[in-house]
Amino acid sequence: MSDRIETVKKLFTSKSSRVETNKGDTYYQELFEKCEARLNEMRSLTPANKLDFTDLLEENGIDRREFMKWASATTAMLMLPPMFTPLVADAAVMMNRAPVVWLELQDCAGNSEALLRADGPKIDEIVLDIISLEYHETLQAASGHQAEKQLDEAMEHFKGKYLLFVEGSIPMGMDGQYGTIGAKGETFHDHLVRCAENAAAVVAVGACATFGGIPAAAPNPTGAVGVMDVIKNKPLINIPACPANPANMVGVILHYVLTGQVPELDSLLRPKFAFGYRIHDNCERRAHFDAGEYVEEWGDVGAQNNFCLYKMGCKGPMTFNNCSIVRYNEAVNWPIGVGRGCIGCSEPDFWDKYAYERPMADAKIKAPTGGVEKTVDEFGLGMLTAAGIGIAIHAAASTVAGKRENSGESHE
Amino acid sequence: MKQGYKQVKRMTPAMRIIHWVNAICMVGAVITGLYIGHPYYQSFIADGAVDKYVMAWNRYGHFIIAILFDVTSVIIAYLYFFSRFEKPYKKVIPNGKNIAEFKAVVVNLLTLNRKKEFDSSHADSFNTVYFTIFHLLLAWMLLTGLQMYVHGLESGMSSIGTWWPWMLHLVTDWTIPVCGGTLMDVRIAHHMTMWFILCWVVFHIYYQVWRTIFWKEADIAIVIGGSKFVKDDSAN
Ligand code: HEM
Ligand code: SF4
Ligand code: SF4
Repeated sequence: MSDRIETVKKLFTSKSSRVETNKGDTYYQELFEKCEARLNEMRSLTPANKLDFTDLLEENGIDRREFMKWASATTAMLMLPPMFTPLVADAAVMMNRAPVVWLELQDCAGNSEALLRADGPKIDEIVLDIISLEYHETLQAASGHQAEKQLDEAMEHFKGKYLLFVEGSIPMGMDGQYGTIGAKGETFHDHLVRCAENAAAVVAVGACATFGGIPAAAPNPTGAVGVMDVIKNKPLINIPACPANPANMVGVILHYVLTGQVPELDSLLRPKFAFGYRIHDNCERRAHFDAGEYVEEWGDVGAQNNFCLYKMGCKGPMTFNNCSIVRYNEAVNWPIGVGRGCIGCSEPDFWDKYAYERPMADAKIKAPTGGVEKTVDEFGLGMLTAAGIGIAIHAAASTVAGKRENSGESHE
Repeated sequence: MKQGYKQVKRMTPAMRIIHWVNAICMVGAVITGLYIGHPYYQSFIADGAVDKYVMAWNRYGHFIIAILFDVTSVIIAYLYFFSRFEKPYKKVIPNGKNIAEFKAVVVNLLTLNRKKEFDSSHADSFNTVYFTIFHLLLAWMLLTGLQMYVHGLESGMSSIGTWWPWMLHLVTDWTIPVCGGTLMDVRIAHHMTMWFILCWVVFHIYYQVWRTIFWKEADIAIVIGGSKFVKDDSAN
């Protein structure tokens, strides 16, 4: 309850998801100098990762021109003025100096997959390739005690400097025993708390790490929660979605490397540069929505003509994410583009509240008390029927009583 | 006028206009709202998508109705306290007199008009409380509706300035945690409240008709001509 009250307070004081994109020349000049100084300092550090960005670009056949195009697009995405483009390019090159510890908790590793399995890595993926991944439970070669030693060393060596990426939810049920790691059987909860202690900032990636995601869906057998429910005393950035878009992960790391700051966040701690857009407002099918042209069933004429997917359960109208703009896999396509609705994967409780593949009005929804699963209309009609029956009884009784009274009167 | 009855004025023309504006808006809001929730007819119009705007018109209608509701509810809130005619807030204060009257009216309803121990010439406590519930439900509709509406202004800008989305966030963002924490919960609450309001309407209409028939004081005329008739004791 006190949590709820806190959220209400925060909401009362929060602004819209708007980012002021013109903060004035003095502000940007100052930020520019700060970033420059920061990058110079970084340049003097020895890269923790031996991979060289420029070599990698060359190997993948990406020329300088393409890279600079990417840099200016990324600058725009981060809502910085064009003069920052060379700095963003520099920062990308120096990503091998950004120490990252990546924890894998209760999840499907889908976010790691998203950034690894792109066919022919594009620039976003290459940037993620060269970050100095000090520890990644799924990817590293080391295992067992060796892996634990590596983690301890990284945390010691980069104390207060590393970014802690967390993928997956934290099971709180049964004292956290649903998920343990390592030879000592440390619970995910304790593991997370220990690793977060000396992190510069914590980044929760994917629906599970941010809001509990699918593990937290009803009936939530493991008592799964997101990182924000466990870590309270650290700068925390949420990058939800299922999977989180690599473009947004890169954006956050770049922003951090460049400015040393957490980007502007909304009330759910999501960076506004990525989650300040509503799917519905940037959807190519929107004209069909307004026209009342909907896909009625899979494969019908509407589907063939790219009609709006609202009646197939698209939740674009209630979902904030930039995948309708940046899309996935370096802008190849995105869910609604391939003809299926949005399931609201970047919103809290998305599995229970958004992903039922039909309009909310037709979905069976659990009452807050648990038990009944009814559509709102079924429930409402039930209520109305009950009211109608009550009224009918009262009306009938009144009529009978009224008649008796009348006949009584006539006897007088 | 029937012998032995006197006419009492109950609703000013302004109040009656507001009542019927509300009633018509209600019907319109339900028709357009249900379409928005689940488009229940198809637009087979052989025109380009840009020309027909079936959903857009429904949403437009829904929002115009919302604005009418906005305006009337502000007026009504004002009248609750400052009406020169009858100040309804005096009847919802839970003091001894009002509670007693409230009980007496409920007893009258439950005993099928056998007992009628209150003055029915004026607005009674029970009905005023019942109307207040309606206005609260309507205010809740407004707040949840405007919360859904402001989602579309995520840029923080609008054609009438940045103050508008800013104000909407300030005034309605609290509905999110109150409804359950997600934007969808607000939508569920909005839709659900429609059914509460419909139940309210059904009983409201029944009760006014019932009063008219059993009290024999022409209550139904209040909302049309503005007055009802009560037995004139002084005449006897
Ligand atoms: C009091 C009468 C009202 C009724 C009966 C009503 C009913 C409804 C219903 C049934 C829906 C569909 C929900 C769903 O299943 O998805 C809806 C949607 C909506 N209503 Fe209302 N509503 C009322 C008043 C308002 C008011 C005062 C506003 C304020 C602006 C409002 C704004 C909205 C919005 C923004 C939507 C979502 C539409 C969209 O963005 O696509 N409604 N309403
Ligand atoms: S497909 Fe979804 S996001 Fe696109 S217009 Fe339709 S409802 Fe909106
Ligand atoms: S379209 Fe919706 S469900 Fe799909 S990735 Fe984007 S936000 Fe997630």
